[in-house]
Amino acid sequence: MENILEVKRLNKTYQDFSLHDISFSLPEGCITGFIGINGAGKTTTLKSILGLTPKTSGDIRLFGMDMATNEKAIKERIGIVLDDGGFYDELSLSEMKNIVASAYKSWNENEYKAYLERFSLNPKQKIGTLSKGMRMKYALALALSHKAELLIMDEPTSGLDPFIRSQLLDILKEFMDKGGRGVFFSTHITSDLDKVADMLIMIDGGRIVFQEEKDILLDSYRIVKGDIKDLDTDTEKLFMNMDKTVFGFTAITKYADEVRKAMPDSIIERPAIEDIMLCNIKGGR
Amino acid sequence: MLLQLVKKDFLIVKKYVLLMFLVCIIFPLFLIWRSPEYAGILGFVLITIFSIFMLLQYVSLKETQYPKASTLLCALPFSRKNIVLSKYIFCILIYLACCLIFGIETLLFPQLRNVGYEVPILLFLVVSLFLGVYLPIQYKLGYEKTKLFFVVLIMASPFVFAQSLKMENSLSMSFLSNINPVLLLAGSLITSVLVLVISSAISVRIYKKADLS
Repeated sequence: MENILEVKRLNKTYQDFSLHDISFSLPEGCITGFIGINGAGKTTTLKSILGLTPKTSGDIRLFGMDMATNEKAIKERIGIVLDDGGFYDELSLSEMKNIVASAYKSWNENEYKAYLERFSLNPKQKIGTLSKGMRMKYALALALSHKAELLIMDEPTSGLDPFIRSQLLDILKEFMDKGGRGVFFSTHITSDLDKVADMLIMIDGGRIVFQEEKDILLDSYRIVKGDIKDLDTDTEKLFMNMDKTVFGFTAITKYADEVRKAMPDSIIERPAIEDIMLCNIKGGR
Repeated sequence: MLLQLVKKDFLIVKKYVLLMFLVCIIFPLFLIWRSPEYAGILGFVLITIFSIFMLLQYVSLKETQYPKASTLLCALPFSRKNIVLSKYIFCILIYLACCLIFGIETLLFPQLRNVGYEVPILLFLVVSLFLGVYLPIQYKLGYEKTKLFFVVLIMASPFVFAQSLKMENSLSMSFLSNINPVLLLAGSLITSVLVLVISSAISVRIYKKADLS
């Protein structure tokens, strides 16, 4: 499978925060979730990929091309959704669209109008009067109306109600079905990724923690609920992120078979992405 | 593409554009009524500089108010060079609009003395020098820090205005007629263009390295 985005040893240093040797790749045909808590480095990484912030060092290639030398050609093929849209509130939808459309050679006005109709957006409405959900839909309409091959979104579901989040996820699936080559989707709301992501990349403290296919990742961890008396120095080594109460313990493990043998009475469950993210943040590895 | 960026600047401050348009029309007429002796070159020069500066300030204020909008523009296939150049063109268009408005008014109201072509060209040089210094500083330091410059200018304006009134007579056409008009025209225009080209190149260089929020 060809990679549509490759990041190699990306470093970016601020006074109080740094990205350290960030390396990952986005295979074609995947919805990739970029997860991490607030301040983990998601937005800085996305900004570096888009050339919005100068990198200290590293190599970033999109569609096999270097952003530094092929910026315009690359950006023609990318759809962008920023967390609050990135619009001027004074402008109407139509005025903002005219600005965005003029940047793209392959702008498709009919497609844009179809999205507006589908999302019940009035082109004469002022952007400042849109709700957060409507603003996100408008951002998607702009990002998807120029035959984008890669959709890059920074926290698109943050602050949205479950219904609009579900609609957004449907649109992402539709985009991939229509021949989109990839979606790169930063979020700290991991429940959305449970539904749509194929691949997960986690960042914490400016470092990549893992890049893994979602199903493989979910299969490699288990939540264990057991009796405190089953714990000893040997068995405790099998667990991460352990919470103990007087009634028992809950923990995450990567060694489900060993746990089963050592604690046959324990309850072993499949984790959610959030559980995996939290156990990696808390340093339980 | 570049024109859409210029249009964007006018759109985000459209209320103020309308206001400044009215001020540009009314101010010379106000001078005819209250101080007819100053209703020529001085009115034209002051209103042109004021219009450019005020509208540029309003645009910068809006850009500061919506920093993500600039980030989005840079994430689109717009080059940062065009984004910077659009600001210069925006200011030059305001200058041209002021010249046009004043030109039409001098035809309608003979009390407004015709300023000829020398004054607009010299004024263009002044505007170019002002933009040539101001815009690179604003790209480097940001709107918040640079607006201090604006505050100082506003505070100094009563003194500048008073001095301008004293200098009004010396700004008459006789002062310009001592210089070869062709030389004056060509020299001013070439200097203005050079200043703007160098300044925009510096601004582009600064903005290309900018870390967008």
